[in-house]
Amino acid sequence: MAGIYVHIPFCKSKCSYCDFTSFPDKLCYAESYMACVYREMSFRRKELKDYTFDTLYIGGGTPSVIDESYIGMLVASARKNFNLAKNAEITIEINPGTVTADKIAFYKKVGINRFSVGLQSAVDSQLEDIGRIHTAQDFKDCAALLRGENFNADVLIGLKGQTADDVVYTINYAAEAGASHISMYALTPEDGTPIYTDYLNGELPDSDEVAALYDAGYKRLKELGFIRYEVSNFCKRGKESRHNMNYWKRGEYIGFGVSASSCIKNVRFTNTFDLDEYFKCIFTDHLPVINSEEIDTDGQKFEFIMLALRTAQGLDAFEYKKLFGTDFFKEYKTALEKTARYLDIEGDSVHIKDEYLFVQNSIIIEFMQS
Amino acid sequence: MKKPNKFIRNFCIIAHIDHGKSTLADRIMELTGQVSERDMEDQLLDSMDIERERGITIKLTPVRMFYSADDGNEYIFNLIDTPGHVDFTYEVSRSLAACEGAVLVVDASQGIEAQTLANVYLALENDLEILPVINKIDLPSARPEEAKKEIEEVIGLDASYAPLVSAKEGINIKEILEDIVKYFPAPDGDLDAPLKALIFDSYYDNYKGVILFVRVKDGTVKKGDKIKTFRSDKVYEVTEVGVFAPGLYEKNGLFAGEVGYIAASIKSIQDVAVGDTVINAENRAEEPLPGYKKVQPVVFCGIYPLDGSKFGDLKDALIKLQLNDASLVFEPDNSVALGFGFRCGFLGLLHMEIIQERIEREFNLDIITTAPSVSYKVVKTDGTELFIDNPSHLPSQAEIERMEEPIVKVDIYSPPDYLGAIMDLCRDKRGVFKEMTYLDANRVQLIYEMPLNEIIFEFFDSVKSRTRGYASFDYELIGYRPSKLVKLDILLNGDPCDALSMIVHEDSAYNRGRTLCENLKDAIPRQLFEIPVQAAIGGKIIARETVKAMRKDVLAKCYGGDITRKKKLLEKQKEGKKRMRTIGSVEVPSEVFMQILKTNKD
Repeated sequence: MAGIYVHIPFCKSKCSYCDFTSFPDKLCYAESYMACVYREMSFRRKELKDYTFDTLYIGGGTPSVIDESYIGMLVASARKNFNLAKNAEITIEINPGTVTADKIAFYKKVGINRFSVGLQSAVDSQLEDIGRIHTAQDFKDCAALLRGENFNADVLIGLKGQTADDVVYTINYAAEAGASHISMYALTPEDGTPIYTDYLNGELPDSDEVAALYDAGYKRLKELGFIRYEVSNFCKRGKESRHNMNYWKRGEYIGFGVSASSCIKNVRFTNTFDLDEYFKCIFTDHLPVINSEEIDTDGQKFEFIMLALRTAQGLDAFEYKKLFGTDFFKEYKTALEKTARYLDIEGDSVHIKDEYLFVQNSIIIEFMQS
Repeated sequence: MKKPNKFIRNFCIIAHIDHGKSTLADRIMELTGQVSERDMEDQLLDSMDIERERGITIKLTPVRMFYSADDGNEYIFNLIDTPGHVDFTYEVSRSLAACEGAVLVVDASQGIEAQTLANVYLALENDLEILPVINKIDLPSARPEEAKKEIEEVIGLDASYAPLVSAKEGINIKEILEDIVKYFPAPDGDLDAPLKALIFDSYYDNYKGVILFVRVKDGTVKKGDKIKTFRSDKVYEVTEVGVFAPGLYEKNGLFAGEVGYIAASIKSIQDVAVGDTVINAENRAEEPLPGYKKVQPVVFCGIYPLDGSKFGDLKDALIKLQLNDASLVFEPDNSVALGFGFRCGFLGLLHMEIIQERIEREFNLDIITTAPSVSYKVVKTDGTELFIDNPSHLPSQAEIERMEEPIVKVDIYSPPDYLGAIMDLCRDKRGVFKEMTYLDANRVQLIYEMPLNEIIFEFFDSVKSRTRGYASFDYELIGYRPSKLVKLDILLNGDPCDALSMIVHEDSAYNRGRTLCENLKDAIPRQLFEIPVQAAIGGKIIARETVKAMRKDVLAKCYGGDITRKKKLLEKQKEGKKRMRTIGSVEVPSEVFMQILKTNKD
């Protein structure tokens, strides 16, 4: 498995919790930027000629704020430069209030078959509070355009003043609107974002309260027939995000655009976060990579474990042996003994027990070689 | 018989902490041209980082200077710096034995302090000439005449001729130098007699081996001489002798009356105890010089390596520290919770802190220290007596006939405004009031008798905070008295933790247990399961708190760009875990073992 990620760093306005690379005031550069992305793809064409890519993910920012024709050319460019599988999963992130029926129709025409919609909350006062530009109704309207499509709704927990009822209400709202996939993320206040001030002032729910919100949301999702396949991701049967599953299986992926990350042949590298720098690199025929790190075997093993244990299906020791040539159970005997009461082990499958998935860090670090 | 050089003066400076001893020493060195003003780094003698940071002197640092006196002669001054704190009385007595005179520095605004007195008496016992000096006369609050009066009243010394100086401003320093020439005697001894040199300090040098700091009393020693110490049979060939300039400065020989160092490729530190006498192996002196009284440690604690595999490194560190701090004692110990380590004895709490800091800084070792304890006398039902300084070694209650605890006499000096606060504190600490004396309108001396184990438990901080830092105190051991003592155990998730046990008075056991549980509850990080924290006396639970189970410990998003970040986050978490010890099933941060002593009361 391998995936392609493209980062579109534009949006209408920055949300108060957003830590992604996005420039609300630079939409005028969209055309040049996209031209650069197509060109960056061509730089990698030869290197990746033997790869078949199963997924393409267009994320941001808000990819739906730029003219849809650029998105069309983007998909075409990916197809032209790379071997994109016929049944590839092609996802675009969209925001309510930035799409029309025509836009959606166009996306579908160029081959996009999965959508990810930023709902965050169905409580308007909370949407306003975190700087979202849409209302709950806007989401409902957007979802109506996506009726019958495979789409995800993003939901945030840990907002100021948010109650368990609010979370349940939001999940009901997304499910009723037809979402086949719901990502429920605990808000992470990052230093430098406006919401960090709220966090420092103690205005956000503490970790116990967030855990309670998560439990309430998880319970409701289960009732609605959503399966938790990763700690923050829930879906109807068969609707897992293949692109994201590739990350958790430690598959390879190539990223294009500012701040995009890649992992090819056990080398992790990241593009520049600076828009001007990105232009300069592409114009002068350079890769815009700012750092690159080769992961040694110990690192690969730990990443494999750390990512696999995020998922409900967990780690496959058979897969481990295929990749690293060693016996997982022998190699991690001590860690397995120490964490036995938090794990379910059936044959080759090792996964964190349902009730401990939300406290996984302290379990996972036992598997770190020191 | 040939007398030593009559132009030598060996002296030390005695002063209370912060009365300006190190600054005065710097001025003296500056005036004798020992260091140029340009090269002056403040407080030359305090070379350890800890000494400079805390403004105290711990080690003895000798320095040699030349002084052209008004009588037309050039004199050699050997200044041996001394520690001021009461914990280091032992070090003081060592330096005194190498001197003929002592400069007593008294702060013009504060007068004589309790600790200074102890050292003055030590100097008098050693037959030293004492030259009082009134320092800090530049301060607006200076009351030099009262300070002089106090010296005369309290010590009975004639202070009428005491120079009035300001070490900080460099006022009247020359007067001190002239007085040193005039009042301090030249060294006694016999140049022709067989070598006798007192080892008053030592340290280990990676290239030269053990460096002995000596005061030569009789005879001479030079490179190539065969030497030995009185208490050992090993013979060494001297590779280098010299003086402190400061720093090692090689010379052809050291003669009776001089202060200097000897290097002789000595590798085994056990063979050269401080206080022993160096003699010539081929021309042996009959009698050793009088050594020092061996001091007894009064405060004990366990020191363990954070990383169990560093036990050997910790042992090396303690051996090296003991080399120039003979008052440090230690023996191997084994704790269920903390593994292999050492039980260490110290002269006091400050001494304990200093040693802990030096292990961490100078030897770069992470250590865990347990709560300090004192040495209790246990009389068993079969009549045998034993001393216990490690609570986990206490025999079972049924075997104990009675227990006794060490009692100290505490001298507290304070402005009268804080008397009430101090008396309350002393009562809380099981103190027995003995005496109160108004020294003058601004200072009262209070004398209490108090169990030592109450003093090691936050007494110092409490005195300072209740008197806004105005009061000072000093204590000395006066003996053992029977007491109702019990062993307080701490259970984490049902498992007893030997490293957290302590011996406490029956009356305070309940409060102490409750406070301990509360502190532990805050200090122990939440884990995947609920942890009961209990205090128990002989199996009976007297207090309980609960560390709630952790509910959220996850990075919510982990996609392409987050993987490296997530990995780093987990590495950090793992790093934090390395600073923890697993006790039963519970992970406890190493700081906890000291932190839990905080009572939160003040």
